Amino acid sequence: MYDLNSLRAEAERLAQLLPDPDVGVGARATLHHGAAGRRRSGLGEQFWQYRRYAQTDAADRVDWRRSARGDELFVRETEMESARTFLFWSDPNPGFQWTSNEDQPRKSDRANAILLAIAITLSKSGERIGSFSTGRRPGIGRSAADRLAEDLFTNQPSDPTPQGNAIATIIASDFYDAPEIWEARLHPLAKSCEQGVLFQVRDPIEINFPFRGRTRFRKPGESQNLILGRAETVQEAYLEKLAAQNEKIKALAKSMGWLFVEHATDQPAELASSELQKTLSHFGLTL
Amino acid sequence: MTLGPFLLLAPLALAGLLALPVIWYILRSTPPAPIEAELPSLRLLEDVESREETPQRTPWWVLLLRLTMAALLIVGLALPVFAPAQDSNPEQVDAGPVLVVIDNGWTSAPRWRELQDAAEAALVGLDRDSSIHLLLTTPTALTNDPALPLSRNEFLSQLRSLRPLPWRPDRDDALVRLQESDLQPGRIIWVSDGLDAGTALAFANDLNAMAPLSVFAATPRGPFAITGIETDAGTTELSVLRARASEGGQVYVSALTEDQSALASAEVIYEPGAILGAAQFDLPAAALSRISSFRITGGDSAGAVWLWDSAERTRQVGLVSSDTTAQPFLSDTHYVRKALLPFASITESDLPALLNASLDAIVLTDIGQIPDDLRAQVDAWLESGGVLIRFAGPRLAAQGDELVPTPLRRASRAIGGKLTWEDPQQLGTFPDTSPFAGITPPENVTVQQQVLASPRPDLAQHIWARLADGSPVVTADRRGSGMLVLFHVTANPDWSTLPYSGVFVEMLRRSISAGKGGSDFDGTGLYTPALTLDGGGRLTAAGPAATPLEAADFATTTPSELHPPGLYRGPGGTRALNAATDLDIVPVEAWPTNIELLSDTDRSRFNIAGLLLSGAFGLLLLDAIIALLLSGRLALPRPRRAVTASIIVLFGTVLYLPVQSEAQTVESPELSKQAEAALEMRLAFIETGDQRTDNATRAGLEGLSMMLFRRSSVEPAEPHAVNPETDSLDVYPILFLGLPDSPQPLSDRAIEQLNSYLRSGGALFVDTRNGSSIGADADFSILRSSLEGLDAPQMVRVPEDHVLTRSFYLLDTMPGRYGDRPVWIEATGAGVAEERRGDGVSRLFIGDADYLAAWAIDNRGRPLFSVDGGDQERELAFRFGINLIIYVLTGNYKEDQVHIPALLERLGERDAPFLEGEGDAVP
Repeated sequence: MYDLNSLRAEAERLAQLLPDPDVGVGARATLHHGAAGRRRSGLGEQFWQYRRYAQTDAADRVDWRRSARGDELFVRETEMESARTFLFWSDPNPGFQWTSNEDQPRKSDRANAILLAIAITLSKSGERIGSFSTGRRPGIGRSAADRLAEDLFTNQPSDPTPQGNAIATIIASDFYDAPEIWEARLHPLAKSCEQGVLFQVRDPIEINFPFRGRTRFRKPGESQNLILGRAETVQEAYLEKLAAQNEKIKALAKSMGWLFVEHATDQPAELASSELQKTLSHFGLTL
Repeated sequence: MTLGPFLLLAPLALAGLLALPVIWYILRSTPPAPIEAELPSLRLLEDVESREETPQRTPWWVLLLRLTMAALLIVGLALPVFAPAQDSNPEQVDAGPVLVVIDNGWTSAPRWRELQDAAEAALVGLDRDSSIHLLLTTPTALTNDPALPLSRNEFLSQLRSLRPLPWRPDRDDALVRLQESDLQPGRIIWVSDGLDAGTALAFANDLNAMAPLSVFAATPRGPFAITGIETDAGTTELSVLRARASEGGQVYVSALTEDQSALASAEVIYEPGAILGAAQFDLPAAALSRISSFRITGGDSAGAVWLWDSAERTRQVGLVSSDTTAQPFLSDTHYVRKALLPFASITESDLPALLNASLDAIVLTDIGQIPDDLRAQVDAWLESGGVLIRFAGPRLAAQGDELVPTPLRRASRAIGGKLTWEDPQQLGTFPDTSPFAGITPPENVTVQQQVLASPRPDLAQHIWARLADGSPVVTADRRGSGMLVLFHVTANPDWSTLPYSGVFVEMLRRSISAGKGGSDFDGTGLYTPALTLDGGGRLTAAGPAATPLEAADFATTTPSELHPPGLYRGPGGTRALNAATDLDIVPVEAWPTNIELLSDTDRSRFNIAGLLLSGAFGLLLLDAIIALLLSGRLALPRPRRAVTASIIVLFGTVLYLPVQSEAQTVESPELSKQAEAALEMRLAFIETGDQRTDNATRAGLEGLSMMLFRRSSVEPAEPHAVNPETDSLDVYPILFLGLPDSPQPLSDRAIEQLNSYLRSGGALFVDTRNGSSIGADADFSILRSSLEGLDAPQMVRVPEDHVLTRSFYLLDTMPGRYGDRPVWIEATGAGVAEERRGDGVSRLFIGDADYLAAWAIDNRGRPLFSVDGGDQERELAFRFGINLIIYVLTGNYKEDQVHIPALLERLGERDAPFLEGEGDAVP
């Protein structure tokens, strides 16, 4: 089980292993630098247009070099630029804060570390990052990563409600709730945010169902339980159901235009983080 | 109930066997407990129909195991006893009521358990309904009636509750009681102590005349009684009686103090054939006075204990103090008191009060005149047996009275003074008639001055000690049954060196016992029992039946229920009545031939209930392991690994342990640590038990030591972690204590050690490490709880220009990890002057800026912790540390430097006084 410091440390380690999106000349040309043109005039560095001087403009806004070429006064305008916002959500369900084996990290720990690593990489290239928790706005730079780490660790709302206009949303969960619930949960998000990734983290025990003999099953955080006389007999049915559930979640993602990434906690974290980044850079290209 | 050779004490419990089939049925149908498992994806299984099969049957061998367990438990609860002896005498069963006679005096105590077993075993084989009668030979006020029939259970419970009584059986009395009761026994079993042949044989014959008699004789195996004590000047000798005059043997007798701790022990060696042995104690008088009883080691009867009362031990001595001087070592009474302390209890008062206090002796030091109105009283006291010891002195020499053993000359004689020719005189040999005879006169005692006796014809017979030249030094005169003793020298060393000598103690002791002694003084008076011995020889509060005893009767009283052996309290102190005083009894060697003797094997019974119950418990453990295996909680492949691992660990430990213990014997780490610290100066810190804090503290001291090494001539060795409870602290110049966030309070022992360390010149630096808390000036409440009991002086902030700020570096601030927090030191002039450390150097430093963290370095010399203000502040922190150590090591040596401004100012005021030779004006 991670505490906040070890979470940060693990995320930093993963982030260092990730390829830096800033590196390479080719990448510089194609990838956006955080600040993206909004195709209208506003605050920014790139030239956008000259327009006629109006009475309301201050005198020092007159572009004298352009105006000197004619009789009229011109004002120089730049293209409005703003950083893109990435929002992260990690499932606070007790079933997600769980591991079958004390030697493995909990599913939520693994998911948080990877989300944070991605966020750190993004913030290095100037993007806004934030979480769905109320009261904190997405921010830029290291402090934003710090805040995100705290939010992921302690302060996740049970439902990600849409916030502002994020460019992409990353949802980490085990996606064991009924597909209808997920649909109700994700659709409002999908409306306000075109791109998103569903990041599924599961425990190996949930994938393999290795139980045998008389077993009493209990869901973490809930008291009701289920006793199976011989657990091995339901293994087949369980695996079928698990596959069906995943299919439904994948279909849901596809219907929203989002992508789906799978991960199990017995796999190395680097694998998932690089795959997740690859998926995100896919968005970067389509943008 | 009996089953073959087995006797069932609780046969009804066997009904539990009927429950076995029910147990079998329940066990059969109960499935093993399920494995617990957590599964977040459980929702997926919600609509999988629960195919709960019929419970798995418990395997038959588990069933068998559990049933065996239940059966063992039930049979065990039926309390079976294996008693093969019960069949040996079946023909006597129907003869009539059985009479069991038991000797329950203290003489039975050494083998009491065997006596009880024998009495119990005698009943085995009797008809269940036959009545049993009990006769106890030791007389008590409430004797049981032998005619009263008892059932077997009543008899057994009575028998088990019987305890040996602390006095001896009276068999004649028992026989009378038996005859009065008109009981016609069909059979008699006498469980006897096997002692006192005189009464025992007659008693056995009388019993045998009434009915067939079986005797079980449990004669004590070893020595069992202390029958007397002899004390003389040097040794104390106890007579120890044993029952059988067999071959030689040995036993030990311990001398016990009042709280039952052994002070000495002596060996008793028996000659073959002798039944009396002697234990000799050669103890100094001081030790002797602490002894309250003697006990045969391993002896557990009232007779194996000899109580020693105050009458035989300590003398009551009164001391009349003539002057109360402010210089105790010059006082007369000081030397007398010191000499008397080991063997006498001392009362100090004025003479009239002492005369009424029934003392053995009264000591008067250099009192010239006894007032006339007291004179008659003193004479009467002397006549009645008191000892009056007087010492000479200037006053007695100048104006002595008549109360002296022999008339004195009105002057004192000085020998060996500046104006005399003679040398100081040594003591001569003691006359044979003197009680001092036998003491070797010491060569180093000299007498410079003495009062002289007038020469008379009868002078010689009054002399107890004389000088080498023959003049008397101690004279005495018998007055009635008392004694008047005069030492012709002072009781202090003014006139002689006698009071310095060990002979003085011995002389006083013998003088005091020259009278009739304390025991005769309290010849009257009633002594009430305070503590009495029980049959097993333990002291207990006196029971209700015990009655007071007249003082004169102590010598003649035989212990009984009215006067049980024990300690009696009365006007003259405590007196003892012992169980075995002058005991002279012999064991029965040959019993009459017509009685049946029961041997030890007849009481052999073997209780097998415990065996069965522990067997059931073992099966229960086995079953628990099997249950774990069956339910899958103890996976089979794993235990194998675990077993091999544990075997490896075990072997490893076995191989490793001898090596380690060898290393420990070669050099004791405790000693070497102390020696190390004594050989090389080093810093030390108190371990708090909090690993992180301790590591930080150690690293801090390493850093400081390194800086000291580099920059100053202080070159400390590796810092030590000390535990104030066990380590010796005095070898360290300063101790550091870095408190963790929630410190454990130090133990009382640790605080005590720290206090003595600080008193003897140590220094303690306490860092509360909470200086980061904002706003609070200094919160030392944490110290109150963790260092409770430390006698801290009044503390002040380090004043400006204190030596601490300039003992090595000139410092304005003393930062640690946190900037500019105050350091608190002992206030100058606080406390009583002699309690303070030698140079007025503070013994306690308290700060909260986490100095140790600021100094901390790792093993490559790099700083471990960040410091507010960076390297600049760290440097200042090191400078403060160096100043601190230099201050602690050099004391106020640097304080002079502090005064230089004042000196220079004075130099300026008076035109260079040193040059003009007026240096003495400077303070």
